[in-house]
Amino acid sequence: MKKISLWAFLLVGLVALPLSDLLAYTGGDVKDGGTISGTVKFAGTAPAPKKLEVSKDKEVCGKTAKTDQSLVVSNGNLVNAVVSITDIKTGKKIDTSKKVKLTQKECEYHPHVLAFPAGSTVEIENPDGILHNIHGYSKVNREFNTAQPKFKKTIEQKIEKPEAISIKCDVHGWMSGWLVATENPYVAVTDNSGSFKLTDVPAGSYTVEVWHETLGKTSQKVTVKGKEDAKVNFEMGKK
Amino acid sequence: MAVRGVDEKEEKKSYGSVFLLGSALLVVVTIWSFWDDNITRRPWKKYQAEFYRLDYRKARAAYDEENKKLAADPAYQELAKKLAAEEQSLEKGELAKKKKELESEEKKADVRFKDLDQEVKFIKSELEEAWYEHDHALQQGRPIKPYQEKIAELEARQKKLEPPVEAARQKRERLKEEIKKLESGVKDLKDQLAKMTGERDKWLTPMQNATLIEKPFVVYKIPSIKQVVLNEFDRNTFDQPIARVDRCQSCHMAANRAGFENEKQPFRTHPRREVLLADNAHPPEKFGCTSCHDGQGPAVSGVMKAHGEVAPGEHNYWEHPLLRGPKVQSNCASCHLNVQPFQDAPLLAQGQRTFEQIGCTGCHLVKGYEDIPKIGPSLKRISAKVDPSWMVRWIENPHKFRPRTRMPNFDFKENDAVAIAAFLWSLSKEEGDKWLQEHPMPAGVREGDKSLAPQGKALVESIGCKGCHGFAEGEFSTTVGKEKDLIPNLKDIAAKTGVRWIYHWIKNPRDYFPATHMPSLRLTDAEAAAITSYLTTLGAKAEPIAGIEERLADQKYIKRGESLTRKYGCFGCHDIQGMEKESRIGVELTTFGSKTLEELFFGNHTDIPNTWDDWTYNKLKTPRTYATERVEQVMPQFELADEDIKALRTLLAGFQDRKVPTRYLADHSQRAVQVVEGRRLMHQYNCIGCHEIENRGGFIRKYYQENPALAPPILNGEGEKVQSPWLFGFIKQPFGIRPWLQLRMPTFQLGDTEVNTLISYFNGLSRVEIPYAYFDEQKVPKEHLDAARILVTKDYFNCFSCHQQGEKKPEGPPEGWAPDLTLAGNRLSPAWIIKWLQDPQKVQPGTKMPSFFPGGPDNILGGKDDRQIEALRDYIMSLGRGAPAAEKPPAKPAPKGRVASR
Repeated sequence: MKKISLWAFLLVGLVALPLSDLLAYTGGDVKDGGTISGTVKFAGTAPAPKKLEVSKDKEVCGKTAKTDQSLVVSNGNLVNAVVSITDIKTGKKIDTSKKVKLTQKECEYHPHVLAFPAGSTVEIENPDGILHNIHGYSKVNREFNTAQPKFKKTIEQKIEKPEAISIKCDVHGWMSGWLVATENPYVAVTDNSGSFKLTDVPAGSYTVEVWHETLGKTSQKVTVKGKEDAKVNFEMGKK
Repeated sequence: MAVRGVDEKEEKKSYGSVFLLGSALLVVVTIWSFWDDNITRRPWKKYQAEFYRLDYRKARAAYDEENKKLAADPAYQELAKKLAAEEQSLEKGELAKKKKELESEEKKADVRFKDLDQEVKFIKSELEEAWYEHDHALQQGRPIKPYQEKIAELEARQKKLEPPVEAARQKRERLKEEIKKLESGVKDLKDQLAKMTGERDKWLTPMQNATLIEKPFVVYKIPSIKQVVLNEFDRNTFDQPIARVDRCQSCHMAANRAGFENEKQPFRTHPRREVLLADNAHPPEKFGCTSCHDGQGPAVSGVMKAHGEVAPGEHNYWEHPLLRGPKVQSNCASCHLNVQPFQDAPLLAQGQRTFEQIGCTGCHLVKGYEDIPKIGPSLKRISAKVDPSWMVRWIENPHKFRPRTRMPNFDFKENDAVAIAAFLWSLSKEEGDKWLQEHPMPAGVREGDKSLAPQGKALVESIGCKGCHGFAEGEFSTTVGKEKDLIPNLKDIAAKTGVRWIYHWIKNPRDYFPATHMPSLRLTDAEAAAITSYLTTLGAKAEPIAGIEERLADQKYIKRGESLTRKYGCFGCHDIQGMEKESRIGVELTTFGSKTLEELFFGNHTDIPNTWDDWTYNKLKTPRTYATERVEQVMPQFELADEDIKALRTLLAGFQDRKVPTRYLADHSQRAVQVVEGRRLMHQYNCIGCHEIENRGGFIRKYYQENPALAPPILNGEGEKVQSPWLFGFIKQPFGIRPWLQLRMPTFQLGDTEVNTLISYFNGLSRVEIPYAYFDEQKVPKEHLDAARILVTKDYFNCFSCHQQGEKKPEGPPEGWAPDLTLAGNRLSPAWIIKWLQDPQKVQPGTKMPSFFPGGPDNILGGKDDRQIEALRDYIMSLGRGAPAAEKPPAKPAPKGRVASR
């Protein structure tokens, strides 16, 4: 076990060191930036979402029916995919003073996938009035598992380093979500129509990556011109 | 004038040139002898001189570098300027004038004070005199009145003088203060400056240490031997303690100094200096270098001689050559008892585990390893267990059937294998038959019945069998060394044995073999039948050897088998009837590491270099390699991986039976002994197959990567966590603490001594000082219980949302549950509960238990987190002891406290 984790650590170190050097991002003012927009489609027919059994705290959690959110497709569009630019070095400022919000309403994470630049603070709300706990299975950041009893309406969790963190509630086993922290502020999560938009992108050529919790990653090269919208569409399917 | 007998010519002959030559020779020889004595035979001087130069230059460069930085620092410049100005002013300017005035005033004040003070002192002397006269007169019966008057007068004078003396003193002090104040500006600035220049000035010390004088030119220190004497460290041939002299640091001068990591040898910093040479580890001024690295400590006349090498790395003829790299690990065991946790001695630790577990001690006696039990199964009832044809093939070459088995290959011919099988068979027939009579064919499963197999497979995969056994190719749990299984892989078990034996064995292993390490999983008849059914589908029945029954019964074979069994020492690993008292057949290895080349027999080998290392390596690689036509060798082939051979060799090299005096020994306390003993036992019972202990093991976890919550608990820090009496009871009679686990903690049927050994091991690891302590429930403040009862409710921490509370089970599926809190009072250590509540993730990374603190509610116990945690501890400790969760304490007085760990 120890050996493996050591090797893993070394490997991650080897990969992460040069990458972090390359990807070091600096923010500033962007003049005449363009946008990148498009949609992410799901290839093939989507399986019917699995129903989740609400086995606990039914008076609160049972108000709405729960379905597995790990693959949501609406009209062929992929929802909850994270679109980001991976190789941008300069661009708009990272504003970490603004907190990003995660709500645990009726024992479900809203949004299911929350994306933000690393260094941001996540404000976690608990309007349910029952005990939740937010357990982040992070590997790059420090693993956290904080209780949020009824009397704590909000708690905060800062995510320091870029990483996609699976979050779970140990009290309500079906609850599952993702916190995706990125190197730079160019990140968006696809909405119900599978579409996304990245704004204030300085003119240039970039790699745009789509990450989905079940389907993995795919990327494309996109060239952005000043004040113009660059369209790019993705299609992802089960491997 | 000629004298007879004297050759005048001879007298007049000049010997000047001879004398000249002689004195020239004398001068040359004298110079040469000085040269030889001081230079040629003292090569270390060159190194030391070179080191002083290096040290000085490095320090100088660093000093200059810092100095440059300071010169470029405007803050420093400003400060320096300010200081100069202030000093200037104090010397010549405004301040100087003032200072001068004050100083002259102070002088005057001082004179005045001293004058007055002297007057007082004189009066005091006169008083002494007056009192003497007074006492004298009293004793002689003269009138004392005049003296009384004199005394009164003197006292009055003294009293009158007191205020002016005090005033004068104060004036002087005030003036002194004022002068100091004037100078304080300079002092402050100097202090500030010293802070800034600290980084630079620290280099002055090494510069001074490397030189005699620095100005006007640098003269380096004169080299001298740096020697450490380790009194009584060694023994001479008569076993008398003698001192060891260690002069390594005459050349290796930077071994214990940071900053020389990239220099060439001998000037390099020790690569693990901070860990290994630190003050609390092995300070070289106490231990020298040879206590770990060997070599010829006192030799200083040449690098090769000091290192005990012929050429770098070659050391054919030296008894104690320098140990480089991982070989150093051999010496740890000379002083350390508990070597397993050493991060810097992985090879030694691995070698020791392999040595203890592969069966070396069955044939070889080694001090400190005498009590390791036989590692093989008992053969007293073997005829009731195995297929005879399988047995013959197994004896012939066990690696053919199970390449990863610990049983070595004796390279027997078929006839010999049959003979040994016949002997063992005949010996065990009576006991075996008796056992078979008492253990009939089970009702629940028949030979060849596969219908229950899927059910059995599911059980095998869920109740924990895989914590020890593999059931398919490539499946394994704990390994011995690199590629041997501690516990057999059962993928071909059907070839070895059948339904009847398997069924009764898994139901109660100790019934067949009372000393087995295989535990009972408390299987019901139906479960045992299902597992038996599954196991009999693994592999095919052994192909029978023609006429095997007759041969096994043949007296000729049996007799021959007995002599073979004795010759090869089978009883070293197995219980065999009538051979319980046989002694080990191999040589004792207690001092094997100190064997010299003359004591090692190389046979007819000319290809193996004549060193201890090579001899040992090849012996372990091919145990009978040194056999010749005349000299037979019987050691069997273990087929160990290269890495394991090297690990074993590292351990063996340390078998020196050194008698190191106590002051050099590491922890040999009772606790250390208990940890070593307990760990050994823990390894034998393979606790680490399921549990991670000392950050090692938990091998079954690989099957639970998807949901680690379903894996067995991690036991790092268990001693600190649970109460010893509880742990005793639990190991004796395990029960389900975690209802969501399908895995079963097995019943090992350990004896009291063994359980105590394990508990001492856990306590020793956690450094538990006092295993029994009193938790006084009577002293728990009511306020705490009241507060905690609110804290655990739904409105606050809602503990019972996950935690079971006696019969009250939480909502939802069991995999979301947490341990029964009513057990905590008897199970958990109160101090641990505090630590756990403060930060569960720190105690057990990855736990499902979230942290509730910091951030307890403001309206309870003044919003103080530590008080709330204490209240919860008190509540949890009292829970399940008659005080139900949300009710009033019972009318009957609760039991008056009880024994709890700490």
